Amino acid sequence: MKRFKTTKGMIGIILLLLIALVAIVGPMVIPPDAATAMDMRARRAPPSLTHIFGTDQLGRDLMYRVILGTRTSLEIAVSAVVMSIVLGLPLGLISGYFGGFVDNVLMRLVDTLLAFPALLLALTISAVLGPNIQNTIIAIGVAFTPYLARIIRGEALRVAQMPYVEAARSAGTTDLMIMWRHVLPNILPAVIVQGTISLAFAILAEAGLSFLGLGTQPPAASWGLMIQASRDQLDIAPWTALVPGLAVALTVLGLNMFGDVLRDILDPRSK
Amino acid sequence: MTYVLNRLLSVILTLFLITLVTFAVTNILPGDVAMMIMGTQSNPEALAGLRESLGLNDPLLVQYGHWVGGMISGDWGNSLIFKKPIFELLAQKAAASAIIVAMSMIIALALAVPLGVWAAVHRDKWQDTVSSTSALMGVSLPDFFWGILMILVFARWLGWFPSSGFVDPAENFLGTLRHAFLPSLALGLGLMAHLTRMTRSTMTGILNQEFIRVARAKGLAERTVIWRYALANAIGPVITIAGLQIGYLFGSIIVMESLFGYTGMGWLTYQALLNRDLPLIQSTVFVIAAVVMLTNLAVDLLYVVIDPRIRLG
Amino acid sequence: MRRRDFLRNSTAILGTGFAGVSLPATLWAQETPVTGGTLIWGHSETTQNLDMHQTGTASSGRVLQNIHSSIVTVDKDLNVIPGLCESFEVAPDGLSYTFKLRPNVKFHNGAVMTSADVKYSFERCKDPATGAVNFEVFNNVASIETPDDLTVVIKMSAVNAPFLSRLAENGAGVVMPVDSGPTQGTNPMGAGPFKFVSYEVGTVVKMARHDDYWEGPSYLDAVEAREITEPTTRLTGLRTGELHMINDIPLDRVGELQADAGLQVKTWFPLNFDFVNMNHTFEPFKDKRVRVAFDMIIDKEALMEGALWGQGATTASPSFPTSAAYNKDLKQRAQDIEGAKAMLAEAGYPEGSLNIVFKATTNYPYHIETAQILVEWFKMAGVNLTIEQLTWADWLSQCWVDKDYQMTMMNFFTLWESDFLYYSVWNSTGAFNYRAINDPVIDELTAKARVTVDDAERAKIYQAVQQQIWDESHDILLWFRNGTIGAQPAVMGLDTVVHPNGSNLNFHKVWLKA
Repeated sequence: MKRFKTTKGMIGIILLLLIALVAIVGPMVIPPDAATAMDMRARRAPPSLTHIFGTDQLGRDLMYRVILGTRTSLEIAVSAVVMSIVLGLPLGLISGYFGGFVDNVLMRLVDTLLAFPALLLALTISAVLGPNIQNTIIAIGVAFTPYLARIIRGEALRVAQMPYVEAARSAGTTDLMIMWRHVLPNILPAVIVQGTISLAFAILAEAGLSFLGLGTQPPAASWGLMIQASRDQLDIAPWTALVPGLAVALTVLGLNMFGDVLRDILDPRSK
Repeated sequence: MTYVLNRLLSVILTLFLITLVTFAVTNILPGDVAMMIMGTQSNPEALAGLRESLGLNDPLLVQYGHWVGGMISGDWGNSLIFKKPIFELLAQKAAASAIIVAMSMIIALALAVPLGVWAAVHRDKWQDTVSSTSALMGVSLPDFFWGILMILVFARWLGWFPSSGFVDPAENFLGTLRHAFLPSLALGLGLMAHLTRMTRSTMTGILNQEFIRVARAKGLAERTVIWRYALANAIGPVITIAGLQIGYLFGSIIVMESLFGYTGMGWLTYQALLNRDLPLIQSTVFVIAAVVMLTNLAVDLLYVVIDPRIRLG
Repeated sequence: MRRRDFLRNSTAILGTGFAGVSLPATLWAQETPVTGGTLIWGHSETTQNLDMHQTGTASSGRVLQNIHSSIVTVDKDLNVIPGLCESFEVAPDGLSYTFKLRPNVKFHNGAVMTSADVKYSFERCKDPATGAVNFEVFNNVASIETPDDLTVVIKMSAVNAPFLSRLAENGAGVVMPVDSGPTQGTNPMGAGPFKFVSYEVGTVVKMARHDDYWEGPSYLDAVEAREITEPTTRLTGLRTGELHMINDIPLDRVGELQADAGLQVKTWFPLNFDFVNMNHTFEPFKDKRVRVAFDMIIDKEALMEGALWGQGATTASPSFPTSAAYNKDLKQRAQDIEGAKAMLAEAGYPEGSLNIVFKATTNYPYHIETAQILVEWFKMAGVNLTIEQLTWADWLSQCWVDKDYQMTMMNFFTLWESDFLYYSVWNSTGAFNYRAINDPVIDELTAKARVTVDDAERAKIYQAVQQQIWDESHDILLWFRNGTIGAQPAVMGLDTVVHPNGSNLNFHKVWLKA
């Protein structure tokens, strides 16, 4: 058990570190225009020594694009998840801690939002706000908020019934203080686990939105945008899809593996 | 019983809230259907005429009342872009999507249950690693990417399944299934990971229980113990979890149906959204949200039946 | 950059019109058409409203072309010729039109067409309550008289020289049976070669032969227009034999299909023209020098090769090459980045000082490619271009209606009629003037053309308009894009499919070889 879990965790961590490295260092070392420079004589060139991952329909180097895309995709995913935590945490905390009427009202709202599939919600928000990176972040962040709020509420509800909370309450500690000192630290592990897993979903969601033209705008590179561009040439230039597809797959895989292990360490109740 | 009543009341309240949210959001969407109908052939006067004839100039409150009132009384109005009664359109397209949703669920379960059981039985061995990694692979790629791969492999290269389209089940049911298979497979692969994990953990819990030990001690074959006793007890929670994925599926069919030209609810929703056909958007989105709500309700109630200890939603 | 030689002498080809069919030589031999069979057509777009008057989309028009006939139509050179009428006559003062209808034309419901149907159809189109896209065609119509069953006399309150030409498009000139209006949207009925059978939203439109069609019955028993919007799936459908024919082959795949001996490819142009638009209310674009400099930044042929994969022909004029109004003397400005830089600096915009948002619609994927290539050239000229992708709905509302953009690009289909083209798009009061162009010279010329009855004279005026658009660089004309059809070898008569307007498809003379 332990050994496998650690190998799996290690693989996850190594994958994530590698990807983070690419996202941070990549843009510093590659030439600034490399990801948008076009070579019309080498459109859809298969992988070779000059273009290690091949080129796309406009003759742009896919290695440079996928490296820059890592930055864009991660930036969006991380910001969106942070946003959903920032929005979902107070909602869930208040709802779960106080319970009763407040809980009822807040959870009806959350239920209402939960009834709309996240992608549909993100799609609509994006359509209303207009397409650019900030709005993509907002769309995904808002769409994920009800899920976060739901989970945090459950956790807060559980912690609020703990003896030490009861004790603090009878000792006259203010609600705000209890939430800050006792509830929050105890639900944090669950939030971190859920955040890691949400990150994986956010990367997929960014890809989905860009795929529908509502996410990252060309000629900037993001994984979803690259996959979208590849769909019409998959049969004659499969590398254009495989390169960004693999990037998404490895990242999501890394996040999921890491998330699983994190869950076992931080949140041993949920197996 | 109070729990059930409360739950039902809250569903009705939520449904009402859903109509409000849907209506509000659709009305702040930029652009309108008259523009979409006329496209670049439009001019201000013709647009004004068309808007009037489509009833787009009514006050918002009147439109909202009209919509909700109409839905209750059974008159769902007409799609502005397709010129068809919305109810008829929805019924037809929902049936098409139901096939995909059911099929992808079956595919996901057919893959996830054996994988999960296998992993639970050989917990912490290589089989466990293989099972959880392959399940993770499914969810690691965006489902539309799976869709693209399916088209490439099964339609373009192997030619086993049609690459696109939808056949009326009344005309040719087998044809419908053939068209639904690839999108369902793509969706099923994405769904599988979660279900595999659930099966594994539920099975693990059950395999540690007393009655299993008793069954083994009685000398029953291991196969019988696992499949007849353990799985029979694990399948309930797994199916419950599967039910909760309906919402995720309804989100995914939007992209998947458009990709495969499979004209169901997802496709209809996306078309309605693209064309700013507000009455159609409102109704499709409402129906999707309501279906998600009601499945969740059904799952919750099922839970109460299975596990009477649960009282709080 | 690989360029095609024919592009170098594009005008020579433009003059004669261009349609190429690559077919195995044996198929060229004349064969006797046979009757029968159902043509399965993979249609590139979703059919929406089926009411001919209310639909402005090329997709619905393409299907309805087979269901409806108009009172007049056009030949290959875009001259107006009789359609449902046997002859027409324009009074010398241009104030009345007399149509003699063909006798015994039968609608799909079996009724014989009379002047009352014509009157009904035109009045329906004119009535604002119908919400007809082309209602303004009838703006100057004072009365529609029907002295007998086969004569229609239209009296005008003022001269409207393009009136007759405008009737050649189904959107205005269609004749439907009296009182069929309310059901046209769900059950379109006319006098075209095929009867409407059924329509399943987003899936298929089915049509069957109209045996009493006035030009003789079609060969095909039926046509099924299956809607397959994904280009690669459409291609796959053709390859696997699920489909007999597809329109709109992805531009980058045309070459590949042409090389495939097992398939037919038909390309023609123009399907549409494309141009880059600058918003004339945006400060920098008020200066002609900026607009000219922007024109100089773009290498149109390289751009066409890049975005259209060579499937088109560059042009400095938006007039259909087959029309008399096409100004053959206009040449596009050559790319001159340094010259453009200098001109921009002179206008007060030195390198790095211009930041411009380019809105492009995902409705036309090649517009996105075009924009991405432009970004690179503009960067070389010291102009920072940012792309914003818009869905069709957003493009229409932001660029078309609200004029809320700095730079964009668009295409126009079927605008072969000069007044419709130049008055609508470039006159300051034109309905399609979404760039807010306000040029008194163009206003005067386009207004004058409207009341000039002599055709040759009118063509000259329009050539002057084209010159003015180019001189002022109001818009940057790019190219005519090719239309494309791919088909199985068994599909015969592909040459007859494309309507002279370049967009509509008609299957009257198509047949399937056993």
